[in-house]
Amino acid sequence: MYALLVFVERYSECKPVSESSSSTSLSAMGLPHGNKTSDVNSAAGSVPTTLAIASTSTILTTSQNVSGSTRLSLTQSQDFPTSTPVNCKKATESDTTPVVFVRRGPMDRNRGAGKDERNDLSVIKERVLNAVSDQSLSGYRSVTNKTGNSPKSMPNDLVTLTDVPDEYRTHLLWEYYKVDGDKVPRAEIAAMPLLSQESMLLDELLHCLTGIRESLLVPQKPIISAVGLAKYDTDFDIHTHLDRSLTHQVREILPLASYFMGVQKIIAATDGLGQVMNSLNEALQELTHDFYLIIVQAEQELRHNRLTLQKLLYYLQPTMWVMHEVWSSLVIIQLSDSRDAEVLTYLHERIKRLEGNKDAQQLIIGLVRKAAKPYMRMLQMWIQKGVIVDRHREFLVVDNEVIHRDELPEHYSDDYWERRYTLRDEQIPSFLAKYSDKILRTGKYLNVIRQCGKRVMPTQEMNLEFDPTSERHVSVINDAYYFAARMLLDVLLTENDLMGHLQSVKRYLLLNQGDFTMQFMDACEDELTKNVDHVLPMTLENLLGLTLRISSARNDPYKDDLHCELLPYDLVTQMSKIMKKEENWQAQPRLDLSGLECFAFTYEVKWPCSLVLNHISISKYQMLFRQLFYCKHVERQLCKIWKENSIARQFEPQAASLYRAAFTLRQRMMNAIQNLEYYMMIEIIEPNWHIFIEKMKTVENVDNVLRLHQDFLDSCLKNCMLTESSHLNRSIFKLCKICLKYCEFIQITQRYFQDAELRSMVRDSADSSESEQESLHCPQIETPLDPTDTFSERVRRFDLEFTQLLISFLKQINSMAKKNTADCFMNLVHRINFNAFYTDQMDKMCVEDAIG
Amino acid sequence: MPSEIITLQLGQCGNQIGFEFWKRLCLEHGISPSGVLEDFANDGLDRKDVFFYQADDDHYIPRAVLLDLEPRVINTIMGSVYSKLYNPENVYLSKHGGGAGNNWASGYSQGEKLQEEVFDIIDREADGSDSLEGFILCHSIAGGTGSGMGSFIMERLADRYPKKLIQTFSVFPNQDEISDVVVQPYNSMLTLKRLTTAADSVVVLDNTALNRIACDRLHIQNPSFSQINNLVSTIMSVSTTTLRYPSYMNNNLIGLTAPLIPTPQLHFLMTGYTPLTSDSDIHTQQLVNVRKTTVLDVMRRLLQPKNMMVSTGPDKSNHHCYISILNIIQGEVDPTQVHKSLQRIRDRKMAQFIPWGPTSIQVALSRSSPYVQSNHRVSGLMLANHTSICSLFERALNQYDKLRKRGAFLDQFRREDIFKDDLNELDESRETVDCLVQEYEAATREDYMQFSVKRGNGPVDSKSEDSRSVTSAGS
Repeated sequence: MYALLVFVERYSECKPVSESSSSTSLSAMGLPHGNKTSDVNSAAGSVPTTLAIASTSTILTTSQNVSGSTRLSLTQSQDFPTSTPVNCKKATESDTTPVVFVRRGPMDRNRGAGKDERNDLSVIKERVLNAVSDQSLSGYRSVTNKTGNSPKSMPNDLVTLTDVPDEYRTHLLWEYYKVDGDKVPRAEIAAMPLLSQESMLLDELLHCLTGIRESLLVPQKPIISAVGLAKYDTDFDIHTHLDRSLTHQVREILPLASYFMGVQKIIAATDGLGQVMNSLNEALQELTHDFYLIIVQAEQELRHNRLTLQKLLYYLQPTMWVMHEVWSSLVIIQLSDSRDAEVLTYLHERIKRLEGNKDAQQLIIGLVRKAAKPYMRMLQMWIQKGVIVDRHREFLVVDNEVIHRDELPEHYSDDYWERRYTLRDEQIPSFLAKYSDKILRTGKYLNVIRQCGKRVMPTQEMNLEFDPTSERHVSVINDAYYFAARMLLDVLLTENDLMGHLQSVKRYLLLNQGDFTMQFMDACEDELTKNVDHVLPMTLENLLGLTLRISSARNDPYKDDLHCELLPYDLVTQMSKIMKKEENWQAQPRLDLSGLECFAFTYEVKWPCSLVLNHISISKYQMLFRQLFYCKHVERQLCKIWKENSIARQFEPQAASLYRAAFTLRQRMMNAIQNLEYYMMIEIIEPNWHIFIEKMKTVENVDNVLRLHQDFLDSCLKNCMLTESSHLNRSIFKLCKICLKYCEFIQITQRYFQDAELRSMVRDSADSSESEQESLHCPQIETPLDPTDTFSERVRRFDLEFTQLLISFLKQINSMAKKNTADCFMNLVHRINFNAFYTDQMDKMCVEDAIG
Repeated sequence: MPSEIITLQLGQCGNQIGFEFWKRLCLEHGISPSGVLEDFANDGLDRKDVFFYQADDDHYIPRAVLLDLEPRVINTIMGSVYSKLYNPENVYLSKHGGGAGNNWASGYSQGEKLQEEVFDIIDREADGSDSLEGFILCHSIAGGTGSGMGSFIMERLADRYPKKLIQTFSVFPNQDEISDVVVQPYNSMLTLKRLTTAADSVVVLDNTALNRIACDRLHIQNPSFSQINNLVSTIMSVSTTTLRYPSYMNNNLIGLTAPLIPTPQLHFLMTGYTPLTSDSDIHTQQLVNVRKTTVLDVMRRLLQPKNMMVSTGPDKSNHHCYISILNIIQGEVDPTQVHKSLQRIRDRKMAQFIPWGPTSIQVALSRSSPYVQSNHRVSGLMLANHTSICSLFERALNQYDKLRKRGAFLDQFRREDIFKDDLNELDESRETVDCLVQEYEAATREDYMQFSVKRGNGPVDSKSEDSRSVTSAGS
């Protein structure tokens, strides 16, 4: 069949050349003498009647010469109109679908169904192809007669045919196939009366509007390199022998054919490219159907001799405006390679620009409404059930992972909230842009609710559609959102008691339950003071369980979620590694770390509370815990030696004064550590917690919960000097270390000076001489220590080192406070240096730094 | 594990104070006079086990030992509605019931004779604690039983429980009246020595100040013992609130006490409380105070002498200063308000602090009982170590010297073993107290670290002269 078509087209191309030659010959025969012709033209200019007569003579002459072919043409013409009335009748009988647009004039009285129309067109095509089969035999004979000319024209034709894109041919009923190009000779059309020309022209024009090629209106070949609108535009060559008035009117109507064909091409090109495009194409198919109805009605008018070009132009004018708008919109969409939501966005914005063109605007509104249907169906599924069915990846929400409730991985909730469902910015229609975040969260909430084993029962019957003329979809989205948000909040806060869990975490990891902390530290002190490699985790767990049961924590319903953990690094190392973003740091060896430096509580929490108390949150709590716990340990050691030092009450007054420096240094250490604890716990953590609790009372959705909790933790970490930008936690660690060393020193020497003093008191009671007492006194103190280092000197050195560390720490805070006046760090300086004891030393060190 | 505290009530004064204390604790924890937990008090957030233990029948029983050498006060307690509250085995009355005759030596000797029975009780109570932290003693320093027997028991406690804390609530005698206890100066001096050497911290409750507060602040013309003791029990209960309602800090006695006492000798604390109201004033003042009381109000008033439970007299040279302060604040308190108050006090120099070490006003924000209605939005207790406390000791020294110089009323002392051979114990006590005064005076100066005691030499007369000289210098 295809070869036959090619053959036929080649024959059609040859024939016009013959006609041209024949025309030239006729002209020569008609005018033997050149001079006479000039005279005649000159005379015609002065006498109009003479020119008219001459034209008539020419036409008559032509008729006589080609009488044979005239008969053949008339026969074909008569056959073709015969089938048209049949189509009209069928259309009339099956009329059920009203015309969507252009409802006025006689055409309104006739309507037809799309399917019937398509079937009729198929019949027409079949008949035409049969006629072509007959022509092929004639064509073959012609070629035989003119063998000499065939080789020259054949290659060009083939090249031309293959340049037409296949996609333009495979999906279309018509695209100006060359099925019959020799209906009327050119010379003959010029000889026809005006009315006959118009009638024939109208017949061809109506065919042309639906993509059927004719002889008087010939489409130009598509320009492959065309860009912009021209790519989907079709220009036509109008037969030069047509009357000028007719030509002018036809040229005004022909753009409609171009629009129609452009639309058809784009429908074919975008078939199968997503649900939105498919739905839009379906709407365009309906538009095409309506267009066919108009053409059929026009043909009917033509059959009844009631149609003129002027009348047709008048009736088609509104359709032309509308089709132009549709065509240009689609071309822009196609040229920008827009897909899915972008299509909806573009059409939606187009509506605003058509305020002055109600008919076109209404049509675009219809297209948008129809095109948005599958998208809105996906949206409804998401905001009502939290389900995404998106084969073509054109929905605004992406499901990045498929997880079943029973297969939750260990730490999956670390990034669950942020990464499981995300937005595709390019897939958000403009009319949903303001609500995209809300839409995302609605479905998220529903998913969490279902993952809690709860059945999501929608409270409203929903049929979500997009109507550009109303905002109803907004209220539907909002209602769905607030429903899901409230339901998830209930699940989280009421059924799963999130606040109870947070209270529990605060109790243990933020040392709010101080008595439990003290008892646990008493129980675990022996174990935790070992090197971390010798600490038995099971021992810690057992001691924890025991402490939880006998302390006031026994009333906490969530105490069993608390566990012990030994981390392979100390807090300062953890902070340092976080700052440097190193990833292989866990492999580094542990250098003589004690259990205390590696210890942390951890809190085991289940879904959905793990949404809030996720792995990262627990890590942050642990960082706070480790700093607080270590400071508390130091305080306890200082209190312990305070109690042991109190035996000095029984010393001789003279002897007691020897230890005053040691006592006051211990007290300065205690002052610093306790004020540090007070600052972190009472001035930072507790107020932040209070703010958090107050804001939680008015929270509306889970994202607010997450954000508030995050703010609470981050604020605590920052002001407790546990952020990357702070080196203060290192200074705190050093201060704690030197305090512990000092406690160890005092405990070692305690037994010696205690024995010495008691022995001294006995001697004093026996009235020993004072000088003898002193000589015995000194060696007792110094003997156990380094011979070159007395107790007093060791105390003085500790004093110096501690003071330097503390002053340096306070200076660091001062310099940070100057940069960030909003921070609370200065509160700590004010507390430690409340009576300005360190002010002089701080000033002195500032001077030294300036000199340095 | 430092947790439980055993309360020892000694003598008439100690038992009267203790009685008020336990009444208050029962109210605060929702425990009925018979030791049964009330229906409304089952939230379990408070820590009753610091001061109570639960019997097998779930009754709450005070960790208290009631000791006296005469029966009057204890019989009154055991005849009250709270008679079923106490463990009968923890109540000890001497068999002869004759008391100590307001004589320290007699009380001390009887304590020595009865120590086996007394310490059987104490040891049993200590063994019954999971993790005993220490002992609280309530007593008077000027009588016979509280001072003498109390002194003996303090010394033995320090020996037998060296790792446990010993804190006393010690009532000092009234200075404004002629005392009916003529040997009061001797008793006070002897007790002060033991308070200095055996106690870790002493909360001084000055009867002179208590009476002044009752008259001036509470508008009670002739305050009764019960009313005075009620003031004391307020001090005792608030100072232990942070132990019974746990929070971030100050969860044990040593954590509360250690920061207040930088060197072992300087362990005498004074207290203040505000606002103070009596029952008759509740209606008239409630509205006003609720409206006006703020954290800064409370903290400022605590620094005013009129709210202190110790009368130290005018500081003419204005050289006395705070060694340390702990404010326990209760009520609706915003921590940021605390910080602002501290800054205000600091900027306005409302308090004078030692120059030789870092110190500040520590603040403990404490919850209070949900079952006891408070008349004030915010209230506060101050525990302070202030150098002016030594003026109390100076007065005791002066009174002692007057009596000692004349050798008056010493016959009763000589009858007891401790004074059979000589009266050295008296003079040694005086010396100990004198050193204490010197230490507190030294603590007002920048060179406290280099301070050393000036010791008297030679006979009694010479000491007496030195004493006068020191006193004059102090004045």
